[in-house]
Amino acid sequence: MAVTTKLDTTATLIQPHSRPAWWRRIRWGNQIAAYLFLAPALIVFGVFAWLPILKTILFSFQNVNINGDSSWVGFDNIQRMLSDPAFGTAWKNALQFALLSISMGYFIPIGVAIMVSEMRRGKAFFRLVYFLPTVIPITISLLIWRFIYKPDGGFLNALIGLLNVPPQAWLQDQRLVKASIMLILTWANFGSTLLIYIAALQDIPADYYEAAEIDGASPFRRIRAITFPHLYPTMIMTFIIQVIAVAQIFTEPFLLTKGGPGTATLTPVLVIYRKAFDNGDFGLASAWSLSLIIILGIFSAVYLRFFTRRTA
Amino acid sequence: METWDRGILTRLEMRTPTGRSIFLLFLGLLLVLSITVLFPFLFAFTAGLKTNLEIYSSGLQIFPTNPQWSTYSMVWTKYSFLTYFKNSFFLVGGGLVCQLTVTTLAAYSLARLKPFAGRLIMGGFMITLMIPSIAYLIPLYTTLVKLPILNISLLNSYWGLWLPYSVNAFGILIMKIFFESIPDDLYDAAKVDGASPLQIFWSITLPLARGIIIVLIIVGFIALWKDFLLPLLVLPNADLQPITVRLWYMLNASTVSAPSLNEQMAASFLALLPPIIVAVTLQRYLQRGLSVGAVKG
Repeated sequence: MAVTTKLDTTATLIQPHSRPAWWRRIRWGNQIAAYLFLAPALIVFGVFAWLPILKTILFSFQNVNINGDSSWVGFDNIQRMLSDPAFGTAWKNALQFALLSISMGYFIPIGVAIMVSEMRRGKAFFRLVYFLPTVIPITISLLIWRFIYKPDGGFLNALIGLLNVPPQAWLQDQRLVKASIMLILTWANFGSTLLIYIAALQDIPADYYEAAEIDGASPFRRIRAITFPHLYPTMIMTFIIQVIAVAQIFTEPFLLTKGGPGTATLTPVLVIYRKAFDNGDFGLASAWSLSLIIILGIFSAVYLRFFTRRTA
Repeated sequence: METWDRGILTRLEMRTPTGRSIFLLFLGLLLVLSITVLFPFLFAFTAGLKTNLEIYSSGLQIFPTNPQWSTYSMVWTKYSFLTYFKNSFFLVGGGLVCQLTVTTLAAYSLARLKPFAGRLIMGGFMITLMIPSIAYLIPLYTTLVKLPILNISLLNSYWGLWLPYSVNAFGILIMKIFFESIPDDLYDAAKVDGASPLQIFWSITLPLARGIIIVLIIVGFIALWKDFLLPLLVLPNADLQPITVRLWYMLNASTVSAPSLNEQMAASFLALLPPIIVAVTLQRYLQRGLSVGAVKG
């Protein structure tokens, strides 16, 4: 950097018009400081984000072992991934998880945010209580929920027993396991979405409600005609975030159900983990990662465009 | 606390029977939901107090007949909580120091020092938000096993986590927006006094950014304390693992000495205390921090 600066100054002195205008406008002395401040970020992003992202793409077309030694295999990994029945199963499971998550958890934070906003006092209390599960490490909450779901003598079975419903094998039954896991996830995560909605509700000017009131609109009419249209951009944003997050579901099936029963909770990320760290097949695992990047990238692109437009 | 002006219901309506009943319905629903949400915490706490026999057939019986407080102290020593809590705090603390150093320096440069190709670099940072980090986990792992150029392995070293944790594009974005909002006059005055960029950064910018840095610390603390997969892969040596990783494997030992359920629950409850204490004591920063922080998903 220092060398370039010096050369540049001399060059300008000798041939004042040899550089384009934009080149001369850059103040090279300031650039040294600017890049010294940026250097740590450029290094960590380079080594621990940009390089790995690039390598995921390269690895997808390579045979790689644990030490990073590699040889080109063309589309072999992609072909093996697509012909593996697990590909269809895992993505179908991811889709089902996403649909369940939306149907079970999407509207809860919206409704709760509206109700919390109506509270005269104690807003902070409710916010904190609903937020607490989001700070709990997943391993710990899984230990507790596994006990709640215990088939014999578990709390949930005793509870539904009061309604004369026979005991269920919550985590061992193919039909129930996805919903059981999604209940844990909804409990664990709705609190952070709630905060987004509470913030969005605070942005609605009180005048709008006053005007509607003068027109004689009932409280529920006000919710429909003012609150919902105003929340609409936030709702689209949280919808996409939720789908992206749920499509990456890993820790719950990995620790709690090991992908089972059968293949009911086999998810794309769980397959990536197994191909890489159980089978040592980093190339195939990277091909799977690439499919994840492409599929979620489409979702993310939509989301980020939306987010930047909103904040701009 | 925030002053309540009005919600969807007006003050006047709050005095009518309809308004009152809507309000009470909302309050009731919120209280029921609060109990449901808090239930697993209470459940783990009381289950940890039950006896070995009581817990297997407890069903709806939530409170123990004869609380066994000794289980908690026994679990504390048996599972070396002190060691693993220390590991966790060291891991999270170091991660936060690295993350904040890298993030604030980069954001300051992008916001104030006008680096050449700054927009391009910012775009490069933002790309990492669009690509789920789990998708490049494998090359990240091989990078950590054999660091480029230096050819050293970061396995079983906290640096193997601190450095990847320093990648925080969201933090850079938030800090950059904040630094851009500081009036230019402040900087110009300092420059006239002959302060260097580092002095300006350290003695003017950082003190002003204290609030937002606290927010980033809370968000970061919770996120790093929760992390499971990366510590599991980077720290195969059990003695170095954080509590969240180690506890799962200790409590799921498939040997004959597998811990009983009451021990499991007591240990779980102890392990969830630190993040809860952080959340409760710093809750006034939560709304502000997490309505931005949660956006990352």
